[in-house]
Amino acid sequence: MSQSLDRDLVLTVNGIAYPVSVDHGRNLLSVLRTEVGLTGTKEGCDDCECGACMVLLDGQPVNSCSYLAAQAVGREITTVEGMVRDGELHPIQRNLLEEGGVQCGFCTPGMIMSATALLARTPDPTDEDIRIGLSGNLCRCTGYAKIIAAVRRTAADLRGE
Amino acid sequence: MLIASTLDDALAAVAAGARPIAGGSDLVVGARHGKAPLPASLVAIDRIAELQTVTETADGGLVLGAGVSHHVIETHPVITGHFSGLADASALVGSPSTRHVGTIGGNVMNGSPAMDTGAPLVVLGATVELRSTTGTRTVSIGDLWTGPGRTAAAPDELCVAVHLPAPPPRSGSAYVRLEYRRAMEIAVVGAAAAVTLDADGDVASISVALSAVAPTILAVSGLTGLAGRSVADVAAAAAEAAAEQARPISDLRASDRYRRHTVGVMARRAVEAAARRAAGETIAVPVNRALGIGAVAATPGAPS
Amino acid sequence: MTVTEPRPTNDAPRPRFVRADGPDKVTGTGRYTADLTLTGVLAAKFRYADHTHARITRLDVSAARSMPGVLAVLTADDVPDVRYGPFVQDRTLFARDVVRFEGEIVAAVAATTAEIAQRAVDAIVVEYEPLPVVTDLEAALAADSPLVHEGWESYGSADPIVRDRNDASFSSITKGDPDAAMAAADLVVTSRYVADASHAAPIEPRAVLAQWEGDKVTIWTSTQVPYDARAGVCETLELPANRVRIIVPHLGGGFGGKCGFHYEAHVAALARAARRPVRLVFSRREEFLAPDRRREGMVIDITTGLRRDGTIVARTGWIAIDNGAYTADSGFFPQLAAMHVAGPYRIPNVRVEAHLVYTNHQPSGSVRAPTAPQACWALESHTDELARAVGMDPVAIRKLNAVDTGAEGPSGQTYDEIGLQQCIDAATAAAGYGGELPDDEAIGVAIGWWPSFSAPSGAYVRIDGDGSGQIITGAQECGTGAVMTLRQLAADELGMQPEDFQLIYQDTSVAPYDMGATGSQTLFNNGRAVVAAAGQVAEQLKQLAAEQLEASPADIVLADGQAHVAGTPSRSVPITELAGIAAGGELLIGHGSGQPPGAPPLVGSSCVGDVGMAAFIAPQFSCHAVRVKLDRDTGVARVLEVSTAHDSGTILNPVGAHGQVEGGVLMGIGQALTEGTRYDDDGRQRNAAMLEYKLQTCADAPTIRTTFIEIPTPDAGPRGAKGLAEAPNVATAAAISNAIAAIVGRPVRQLPMTAERVWETIADAAEAAAQDGVAS
Repeated sequence: MSQSLDRDLVLTVNGIAYPVSVDHGRNLLSVLRTEVGLTGTKEGCDDCECGACMVLLDGQPVNSCSYLAAQAVGREITTVEGMVRDGELHPIQRNLLEEGGVQCGFCTPGMIMSATALLARTPDPTDEDIRIGLSGNLCRCTGYAKIIAAVRRTAADLRGE
Repeated sequence: MLIASTLDDALAAVAAGARPIAGGSDLVVGARHGKAPLPASLVAIDRIAELQTVTETADGGLVLGAGVSHHVIETHPVITGHFSGLADASALVGSPSTRHVGTIGGNVMNGSPAMDTGAPLVVLGATVELRSTTGTRTVSIGDLWTGPGRTAAAPDELCVAVHLPAPPPRSGSAYVRLEYRRAMEIAVVGAAAAVTLDADGDVASISVALSAVAPTILAVSGLTGLAGRSVADVAAAAAEAAAEQARPISDLRASDRYRRHTVGVMARRAVEAAARRAAGETIAVPVNRALGIGAVAATPGAPS
Repeated sequence: MTVTEPRPTNDAPRPRFVRADGPDKVTGTGRYTADLTLTGVLAAKFRYADHTHARITRLDVSAARSMPGVLAVLTADDVPDVRYGPFVQDRTLFARDVVRFEGEIVAAVAATTAEIAQRAVDAIVVEYEPLPVVTDLEAALAADSPLVHEGWESYGSADPIVRDRNDASFSSITKGDPDAAMAAADLVVTSRYVADASHAAPIEPRAVLAQWEGDKVTIWTSTQVPYDARAGVCETLELPANRVRIIVPHLGGGFGGKCGFHYEAHVAALARAARRPVRLVFSRREEFLAPDRRREGMVIDITTGLRRDGTIVARTGWIAIDNGAYTADSGFFPQLAAMHVAGPYRIPNVRVEAHLVYTNHQPSGSVRAPTAPQACWALESHTDELARAVGMDPVAIRKLNAVDTGAEGPSGQTYDEIGLQQCIDAATAAAGYGGELPDDEAIGVAIGWWPSFSAPSGAYVRIDGDGSGQIITGAQECGTGAVMTLRQLAADELGMQPEDFQLIYQDTSVAPYDMGATGSQTLFNNGRAVVAAAGQVAEQLKQLAAEQLEASPADIVLADGQAHVAGTPSRSVPITELAGIAAGGELLIGHGSGQPPGAPPLVGSSCVGDVGMAAFIAPQFSCHAVRVKLDRDTGVARVLEVSTAHDSGTILNPVGAHGQVEGGVLMGIGQALTEGTRYDDDGRQRNAAMLEYKLQTCADAPTIRTTFIEIPTPDAGPRGAKGLAEAPNVATAAAISNAIAAIVGRPVRQLPMTAERVWETIADAAEAAAQDGVAS
């Protein structure tokens, strides 16, 4: 069924339905950060270049800064706040900490979402897969080495190795 | 905004003046940067099932629904195997997220001269299926673009599919792009080539098209006389023709002089890679990374 | 001396250091400034200059003020008439009469929504009389150049600053008789190098939120230097320090870009005028255009005289540094740049002169090792030219001339034990320097140095009744982990675990002064303060334990959460128990600052414009060896491997230290190849967006190997530590330059060495070779 949307939308974020009322043309990022009230997703640029705003939409990575909130209706949105399950850090979160892949932390939420999407489609990635998979997420602090190490280790953890 | 679930609903909305939107990146980023305000009426076409399909035709051709994403193209075995130049291009578009959200229809209809998929579509002989509430027509890809960001489509027409004819036997294609970084680039220059080899391993037919060196994707002309020559000769001649026919501008990304030189280099590399694929060699997608060309300096053939 | 084994970072043993702020950052619960809001908050927007140099002839905000939803519009008329600046007082909060760069603020608006604020900004009427635009550094120094500041002579400035017209700060270092030595040299090599400006580009754009309660203001801001920000607010809004509270939530990176005093006063003034909280959040474009923290463009001339055996006998240099329109913290740049053009070499005869030149560009300010990457790139590229001129190996010429323990440097400083020679050996060995490579690859080598910055700093340490601890410090964490490492220092002093401590930091009203996350100084100085503060608590604990254990306090040892009698571990009492006793009496509170190390003496040199940068306290040294692959057809260079060796003294936090080197190297690669600001003829930035200003991506990141040459350094930080955050950024671009030059046969003389510039250099080399062929 085609669906005509006005200001009133329901967005499903981390499994919770949020009714919101927003102007035409609002991007998903600003609605997540303002109406939904989840500020873990960051804004670092405004043209899909930095990846700080990365969320998952039905499991696929999306730059929420350049995606209309209305287009996310009926899809499952996952943000960094949805990564902790039953009070436990997701392995990618734990490994980023233990490998030293977090410095200022501003790119970290987006990095976590991109890594999660990468490992869902490529459970046993090569280093090149990881580099390309995270290439839409800029980090200015780490030089990426420890982030790559964390993703490599997470892949092994998730495969049960 | 209308979220269309059927093509008919989408066509009706477009006929009523709505702007179609798939991933929306170009439109939303453009609006935020003040290029053009976001249209008041939008129809989302990313949930129309029939626009998402990749269909092989009986004669070996391919129909790509306009909503097929770059991610699907770069990973689809038929496309990477037989329409490799297109897969090369889609695999280089933006970031993984851009490739999930961005579609072939959006790329084609956005009409940027720097688009990556345009040059391979030209050398693969693509046609575009435009549909409105009153009918359907097919336009050759070269006739679609009328200028930077402009197409021959009427306001009520929606791009519904891209058709690719069956590639001839002993043919191959490739798209090579100049990259300053190994990811997240926009074509400074790019070149696609489709090559068919004869029984002797010489070139039976050759087609080359260029990105970002003219107001629209530029098909290199005057190559038909090269039939029967060796791959090396054809690659050199194509490079020379590409550099000569390019009408590049100088901007932030490069000078016209540098673009003219490098588009020749890209054309030569595209022909060489396409010929290797035509000879039956499997070169992974994207050829830029597989061969370490474009972003990575290397002798062609030496994986970095 | 201990040398830690060189090993690929990725194979490093599983680290134990987990940042105290890490859980906040990986779960998205940690708040950055732009994540904060307050009831009734208004949105701030700035009206920027429409010209890069013009006189304001009309400024009318009446239409903006009368728009519904607009609660405050401010211009220069609405704030105290204060000129400020740490070295030259040439700046005002809002443009007064003249605008001098595109990011200069003419007016500020606070409104109920960002959209209304923007409409109000657009409704402000400004008319201008254009003035001549100054963008060329050499032309700006000419006697007949138009002035960026007509009234420069009337400005106040710090004592050592030497100024003249568009020259905002002149400095020179002279030693020996360079003219005579140059005349006597066997060989003289002269080079010119030009570096474009670049940006710190932290991923978090800056944000400020201000709220007044009565006559006190609280400002949450994304600054690296909370106390500096407070001083700026106090100075420009004429407030006493104790009525201004600066709080920094988590900071999303800085790299120097968020040093200094920026927009805290603008937002505070808006909030006071609107009588509502006001929040400012920068767009990426504003982040590029407005802050006075761009990495400075430079023109560098170097001449070196050598003996045939490669011994350097004299060096002269001339440097012009683009100051931009106002003097932020750039007053010390000339002397620092002069030191980096002289370099960490034993040169008996030196004269380097450096000018800080006003232009109508965005102001320059400290970005990670200010002036050093560019100056090192020029000097070290020049050094490879010297090697080619005398037919020596580039590493050998460095080993021959580089400073060592006990040697005298170019400014007349004699070094205590240092590890530069070991750095050269370690980095080149790790890189496999000298081995066979394909003809499109080469390894380039460069050495660098950087001072440690000594400054006053304070901290409190307390242990509460349950035995849990708090470190209350003025230090600022910008991501490096330096503040995080303070827990380890306190824990070691008290025989406790780092996890026993919480950190309270980044709040000027709760913790004593610290300079902030600048100059790689946090552990160097605040580490000393925390050790001193924890030491006081340790004394208290020992006193209590002595009473419990009937021993002398001098015999009590704190270890493993226990206080025990030395030599008799069984006679012990848990620290938690002592804390419980203290909670009922004299509380366990320590405070510390300690004496900052003083500057080493200089002998035999003289400095004009001496701002204290010619004497390097606890100098850090480094050598980077970089393997580069070059596509000769296109000029695209790719960095395949980087091997670094750093003497930063004792390494207190190996995980953090490796992270600093890796991040600094990648930033250096960006500066080397893709990051450079492009200006139009009017001095406007043409690539103020991430798409056109290209940071290195994950796909570009090479393998980075790091060796630390750990030499406990006297007169340094805690346990002989030096700074580290800036040093890794110094030598990378230079090493890449030398690799490219080795492949091409000559250096690329402009930074960044973009593909097109490399390609042009290749073409020039080919042309020269063809002409040589014709000539012979």
